[in-house]
Amino acid sequence: MADRNSPFIELRGVVKDYHSKAGAFQALKGIDLDIYPGEFLGVVGKSGAGKSTLLNMLTGVDKLTAGEVRVYTNGSSINLANLSENELALWRGRTMGVVYQSFQLLPMLNLVQNVMMAMDMSGLYHPRKSKERALELLDLVELEAHAFKYPSQISGGQQQRVAIARALANDPPLIVADEPTGSLDSVTADHIFNLFQRFLQSDRTIVMVTHDQGLMPRFSRYVNIVDGELVENGREL
Amino acid sequence: MRPRWRKVLSDLIDNKARTILVVFSIAVGVFAIGVIAGTYVIISEDMGVSYSANNPSNIEIRMDDFDQDLLNTIRKFDGIKGAEARRVFTIRLRPLGETKWTSVDVIAIEDFQENEINLLEPVSGATEPGKNEILLERDVLDELEVSSGEYLEVQLRDDTIKEIMVAGIVRDSSTGAIDFLSPPLAYITTDSLKFFDQPKDYNRLFATVEVGQDDDEQIRSVLADLSEKIEKNNYTIGRTFISKTHEHPLEPTINAVLGILMALGVLIVFLSSALIANTLNALLNQHLRHIGVMKLIGGRDQIIFRMYLVLLLAFGFLALLIAIPAGGQGAYALAEYIADQMGFSLLGYRIVPLSLIIQVAVGILVPLVAGFIPVIKGSKVTVQEALDGDQASAADDDDSADREGGSRFERFQVRSVQVLADRGIRIPRQMLISLRNTFRQRGRLLLTLITLTMGGAIFISVFNVRVTLHDYVEDIGNYFLADVTLDFERPYRLEEIKQYAHQDPRVTAVEGWSYASAEILFPDGNTAENISILAPPADSNLVSPLMVDGHWIQPGDIKKLTISEGIYDYYPDLKAGDMIPLKINGKEEYWEVVGVFKFIGLEGVLGYAPYEYISREQNLANRSFSYRIVTEKHDRVYQQVMAKELDAYFRDQGFHVQEATPGLSTMDSASESLDILIAFLLIMALLTATVGSMGLAGTMSMNVMDRTREIGIMRAIGATDREIIRMVIGEGMLIGLLSFGLGMILAVPFTYLLSAIVSNAVFATPIAVVFTPMGYYIWLGLVIILSSLASVLPARNAARLTIREVLAYE
Ligand SMILES: Nc1ncnc2c1ncn2[C@@H]1O[C@H](COP(=O)(O)OP(=O)(O)O)[C@@H](O)[C@H]1O
Ligand SMILES: [Mg+2]
Repeated sequence: MADRNSPFIELRGVVKDYHSKAGAFQALKGIDLDIYPGEFLGVVGKSGAGKSTLLNMLTGVDKLTAGEVRVYTNGSSINLANLSENELALWRGRTMGVVYQSFQLLPMLNLVQNVMMAMDMSGLYHPRKSKERALELLDLVELEAHAFKYPSQISGGQQQRVAIARALANDPPLIVADEPTGSLDSVTADHIFNLFQRFLQSDRTIVMVTHDQGLMPRFSRYVNIVDGELVENGREL
Repeated sequence: MRPRWRKVLSDLIDNKARTILVVFSIAVGVFAIGVIAGTYVIISEDMGVSYSANNPSNIEIRMDDFDQDLLNTIRKFDGIKGAEARRVFTIRLRPLGETKWTSVDVIAIEDFQENEINLLEPVSGATEPGKNEILLERDVLDELEVSSGEYLEVQLRDDTIKEIMVAGIVRDSSTGAIDFLSPPLAYITTDSLKFFDQPKDYNRLFATVEVGQDDDEQIRSVLADLSEKIEKNNYTIGRTFISKTHEHPLEPTINAVLGILMALGVLIVFLSSALIANTLNALLNQHLRHIGVMKLIGGRDQIIFRMYLVLLLAFGFLALLIAIPAGGQGAYALAEYIADQMGFSLLGYRIVPLSLIIQVAVGILVPLVAGFIPVIKGSKVTVQEALDGDQASAADDDDSADREGGSRFERFQVRSVQVLADRGIRIPRQMLISLRNTFRQRGRLLLTLITLTMGGAIFISVFNVRVTLHDYVEDIGNYFLADVTLDFERPYRLEEIKQYAHQDPRVTAVEGWSYASAEILFPDGNTAENISILAPPADSNLVSPLMVDGHWIQPGDIKKLTISEGIYDYYPDLKAGDMIPLKINGKEEYWEVVGVFKFIGLEGVLGYAPYEYISREQNLANRSFSYRIVTEKHDRVYQQVMAKELDAYFRDQGFHVQEATPGLSTMDSASESLDILIAFLLIMALLTATVGSMGLAGTMSMNVMDRTREIGIMRAIGATDREIIRMVIGEGMLIGLLSFGLGMILAVPFTYLLSAIVSNAVFATPIAVVFTPMGYYIWLGLVIILSSLASVLPARNAARLTIREVLAYE
C-alpha cells in the first residue's frame, strides 16, 4: 500500500454550521487532521462534542460549511466537495465501509443479502460471485451459521458483526465506525474490537469514534474532540 | 436474485397490509375508470346496432282504414324500401279477479314470420300468438301482473268482457318508442280480429325508406311525397311520425348518461391520481431509512430510482389484475342496466379494447406519474437526512424557506390559541396535539385534502344533480294537476258531466278539455314535428306552467298557443309573439306563439291553446271528450281509487267511458326517461362514494402507518393507548372535516358542470340547479365514520407494538 508517512486523508480547516430554529450552531470549529494509511485512529469526545459530525464530513454523508476534505487514492487526490451526491455514493461504496451504532441493516433482507446488497450497489462483484464472498465475510465475523436469518432474529452484537461484514464487502481501504460498540455490553464490544484489530493486519485504515475514554489504549492513535475542536493529538505505539 | 430485486420483492410481500392498501387505492380508481369507459363504449356501440337490428320503421302513418291494394301501391312507391300494414285498436285488460283496468294498444300483424319491420324480441313464452291469443309488450307488466300461459279479461269497445290467453311476453323497441302518450302494446294475428269485434282493414302503416335511413330530411321528403299520394287516393291521414334507423329515440337521455359518464371518468382519473400520489408519498416516507442505508453503501440515485420504479410498476400491475376483470364485469352490468331501462339489448359480453387500454394506461401511468415526485425526492434525499433526520421532516421540509413557513404557521397557531384562551375558550391539549400534527406536514396534508375533497365534491354534486332532476320531475307535475282524467268515446256537454261528477262529494272541481293534433311546419311547408295541443279552459288552475318566454294562454286568444321548449329544435330563435305555420284540422295556418314553457324536451312538442277557441273550431263548443277532475286528496292511491270509481259510476249512468286515468300515472309516463337518468345518477353516486371512501380510508391509514415510530415514542414517554387513539382519531376527523368543508365548496362548480351536461342533453334551456343537504349529510357521515375508523385501526396496531419494535420499525 501507499507510503505510511504521507497522509491518506487530509482535513483542513473543516467548519460545520447547523442552522436550526434556535439559530446557527457551529458543531466543528476548524478541524485540521491527517489520517495515515494503516492506522487505527480513535476520535474520542463527550456526547455532543461533534464526533459524528466530523465523521459525516469524512464520509461525505453531510456537506461541510468551510474547509476541505481530501482523500488520496491510487496516487491521485479527491476533494470530496467536488463530488456530486451521486458520485459520492459510488465512491463511498467502493472506498469505505461505514458502521453505525444503530447497525442500519435492511430488515427485509437476510444476513447474506444484506452483505450482498453492498456489492450489488457498488457493482464491483459479479452477482454470482458476491454470494460466495458474502458467505466468506459472514464466516469471518463468525456468523456463517446464521447466514439466512433476518436481522430481527439475531442479537445486537451479531447485527453489528453483520454491519462490519457489510462494510468489508467491497474490500475498501477505509473503515469508518461511529460508536460501533455504543449499544453493546462490554464482552460483545470486546469481540467487535478484536474484529477491527484483525482488519488492521490486512493493511486497512480504520477511523472510529467513541465517547468511551477507556478505549483509548486500544487505538494506534487517538485525538480528543471538545466542543468541535481537536484539543490533543498524540501518537502512541 | 440480485439483492436489490430481492428487496423490492420483500417490500411487496412483507408488509401485506400496506401493499394491499396501495394496490387497492390504485385498483379502485382503475376499476371505476374501467366501468365508465366500458359502459360508454358498449352503450354507444350497441344502442344503434341493437335498435336497428329490429329494423325500425322510418315512417309511421296513422290513417283511415285501408286495404291490401293501397299497401301494394305504397310498397312500389319511389323511395320506399319496405312497408307493413297493421290494424291498431285500443282495448282494456285486467288479470282475472282484479278490478283495475289497463288500456293497451293492440297491434294486429298478418304474419309474424314474414314481418320485416319493427321486429319483436322474445322475453318469455311464445314469440307468436295462436288464434285468439295475445302477446304482451313487457311494458304492460309495469301495469299488471301476468305471465305467459295465464288468462286475462279483455273489455271491448261495447263493454263486453272476454277471456284471452297470454301466449308470451315480447319486447318491441321500435313501435312504442316514439309516442309517450300512447298506452303499452299487445300483439295478435289478424285471425283474432274477429274475437275483438274488429274489421279486417288496416289503419296504420309502417315503412322503411330506400336511402338516407338516418337522414331526417330525406325521410321527411319521402313522407311528404307518400302522404300526397295517399291523400290523392282519398284517404285521410291522422298523424305521422318519422324516426331514424340507427338512432334510438331515447338518444338524448342516453347522451346525457354518456356525458355524465365522461365527466365523471375524467374527475375519477384525477381523484385516483391524487389518491395514488398520496399513498405513494406516504410509502416513500416510510422507506426513507432504507434509501439512506442503500446510499450509505454505495447506491446511486439511478439504482434507487429504478428499484422504486419497479415497485410502482408492480403495484400498478397487481392493481390491474384486480381492476381489469372487475371493471369489465362492472361495465357490462352497468351497460346492461342502462340498456334494460332504455329498452334495447346488448350485443353480448365482451372485452372493450379501448377500456382495456385506458385501464392499463391509468393503472401503469398514474402510479408512475403520481409516484414520480415522491420517488425522485426519495432518491435525492441525502444519507444524513434519511438516516438521522426526523423521517418525515427530511422528506417534507427540505429547504429552509419551507421551515420558515412552518415556524410562521406555528407562531400563528400559538397566537390563535392565545387569543382563544384570552376569551376563556380553552382547547383541550389532545386536540392541540392533533391540530399540530395535522398541519405539521403540509405536503401530505395537501395531497390528502385534494383526494378527499375531490371524492366528496363528486359525490355531493352527483347527489345534487340527482335531486335537481328529481325536483324537475316534480315540477313536471305542474302540468298534471288533475287527479283523474276521464276520457269518453263521444263528446258530452260540460254541464251534464259536471252535474254527474259533483254527485260524488269527493269531487271538488271538473274541467272539460279539448285536444287537437297538429303538425308544426317549416316555413317551406315541410312537416317539422307533430304537436299535441291540449286545450284547457284559459283560466284553468290545473296547469301551472314554468314559462321560459312570454306568457300563458288567455281566454280571448284566437290562433294563439303556448308551446314547449322542444320547439327550439326546429325554430331555435323563436321568441314570444312570433308566428309559426301549423297544419291543423287539415288546414295550413299561421299561429302566434304567445309563450314558451319548460317541459321534457325529448318527449316531443306539446302545446296549449284555450278550450274556448279550439272547441269552437271543432264544432264542440260547451262539449268535450275529455274531463279533468280534481278530488279532495291527491295521493297516488286515492287517485287510483277515484279513477276506478268514476269509471264505474259513469258507465253505470250510461256514458261511453273510454278510460279513467289517475293523474300521477300520466305524469309518470311523461317523466319516465328522467327517472332512468335519476336512477343512473344514484348508481354513479354510489360508485364515487365507494372510490371516495376507499380513498379516505386508505389515505388515513397510510397517514397513521407512516407515524408508527412517533406513536411508539409517545407511548414510551407515557402516553396511554387511549390518549394516542384519541389523538389519532382527532387528527383523522380534523382532516376529514377540513376536506368536507372544501368539498362543499368544490361541489358547487361540479354540480353546475354535471347539471349543464344533463340539461344540455335533455332540455333545450338550462334547468334550475337545486342543492340538497342530503348529499352533504351522507358524505359528512361517511367522512366522520371512515376517517375515524381508518385512523383507529392502524393506530391501535401501532399502540400495541412494544417500544423496542417501534423504534426498530423500518
Ligand atoms: N442536524 C443537526 N442540526 C442541528 N444541530 C445538530 C445537528 N446534528 C448535530 N447537531 C449538534 O451538533 C453538535 C455535535 O453533534 P454530534 O456530532 O452528533 O455529536 P457527537 O456525535 O459527538 O455526540 C451537538 O451539539 C448537536 O446538537
Ligand atoms: Mg454521535
